Amino acid sequence: MKPKSPLLLRVARLVTVFALLAAPLAAMPSEGDATNLKTVDQDVQALKKQLIDLNRDLFKLEEELLYPASTQVAVFLSVDVGTFFALDSVTLKVDDKEVANYLYTEREVQALHRGGVQKLYLGNLKTGSHEIVAFFTGKGPHDRDYRRGTTLKLDKTVGAKYVELRISDREASLQPEFVVRQWE
Amino acid sequence: MAAAIAVAAGVPAFAAPPALNSIAPDFALKAVDGRNVRLSEYRGEPVVLHFWASWCGPCRESVAALDALGVSSGTPVLGVNLDGADRSAAVADSLHLKSPTLVDAQQSVARTYDVAKLPLTLLLDAEGRVRASWSGVPADLSALTPQLERLRQD
Repeated sequence: MKPKSPLLLRVARLVTVFALLAAPLAAMPSEGDATNLKTVDQDVQALKKQLIDLNRDLFKLEEELLYPASTQVAVFLSVDVGTFFALDSVTLKVDDKEVANYLYTEREVQALHRGGVQKLYLGNLKTGSHEIVAFFTGKGPHDRDYRRGTTLKLDKTVGAKYVELRISDREASLQPEFVVRQWE
Repeated sequence: MAAAIAVAAGVPAFAAPPALNSIAPDFALKAVDGRNVRLSEYRGEPVVLHFWASWCGPCRESVAALDALGVSSGTPVLGVNLDGADRSAAVADSLHLKSPTLVDAQQSVARTYDVAKLPLTLLLDAEGRVRASWSGVPADLSALTPQLERLRQD
C-alpha cells in the first residue's frame, strides 16, 4: 500500500480537528464555562495556525508545480538608499518579450527604501542563453525625468535562477546605479 | 479586443463588468497629478470606482456628482479616464475634480473590467468586493449614498 502524501494527511487531520471542535461546541451549556471557553479558544487558535500552515504548503506546492526548479527564473527588485533616483516604474523584457510592467506607488517605494525586496517576475525558461532587459523610469538628480535600461545575458542551466535588480547610489558621480546580480 | 472595440464604439460587448460580490481586479494607474495609484491600497474602506471618458455626455455629469459625493463623504472616488493623458488632465481640470483622475489611455484596465458601456460605476466595500454597479447610466446617487453609508458603518 502506498503511503499517503503528507499534505493529504494534514488535510485529513484538519477535518478531524474540525469535527472534534464542533461536537463540544454544540453540547456546551448556555451559561458557559470559563475553562471550557479557554480550551475552545486555544483550539481555535491552533486550528487557525494549522490553516495558515496548510495554506502556505499549498502555495509552495502550486509554485513547485507551475514553476519547476529546472526551468524557474525569478527576478527581484531592491533599492539601496536611492537618494538620486525616485522610482516610478520598471518594465522587464525576457528575450525581447515584455513580461512585467510595474508602476510603483509612494507606499511601495517607501517599503523598498525600508529594505523590502519585490518579486517582480516569476516564470519558466528553457536551458540555454537568454537576455533579460530592465527599463527603470523615474526622477533622477535635479528632479529630471530619468529612464535607464540594463541588460543581463543569462545562461540558464538546470536549476532555479534568481536575478536581483538593485538600484543604488553612486556617490562619486551623484548618479543612480542599476546593478544586476545573479543568484544560483 | 471585443471589449476595447465596444468601449470605442460605445456599444455593448459580450463580456460583463465584475459580478456583484466578486473581488474587483487590482490595478495600478498613473493619476493626472503624476502619482501612481493602486486600487488595493484602498482596502479597509469603501471606494467608488468610476470609468468615464470626455466624449461620453452622461459621464461628465456623473463624474462631477461622484466627485462632490467623495468630497462631502470623505470616500475615495477613483475616476478611471479612458482619454489620453493630456486630455484627461485638461478635462479633470475643467471640471475642477478633487478626486484622483487615473489615466487609462491604453484601456488595459477597462479591458480587465470588461467595460462595455460608459459610464461604469462600481461601489466596492472595504474588502474590495463589488457591492453595486451602474453600467451605461450615471450612478443613482439616491441608491448609492445610503449603501455607501452602510458600508462605512460596517
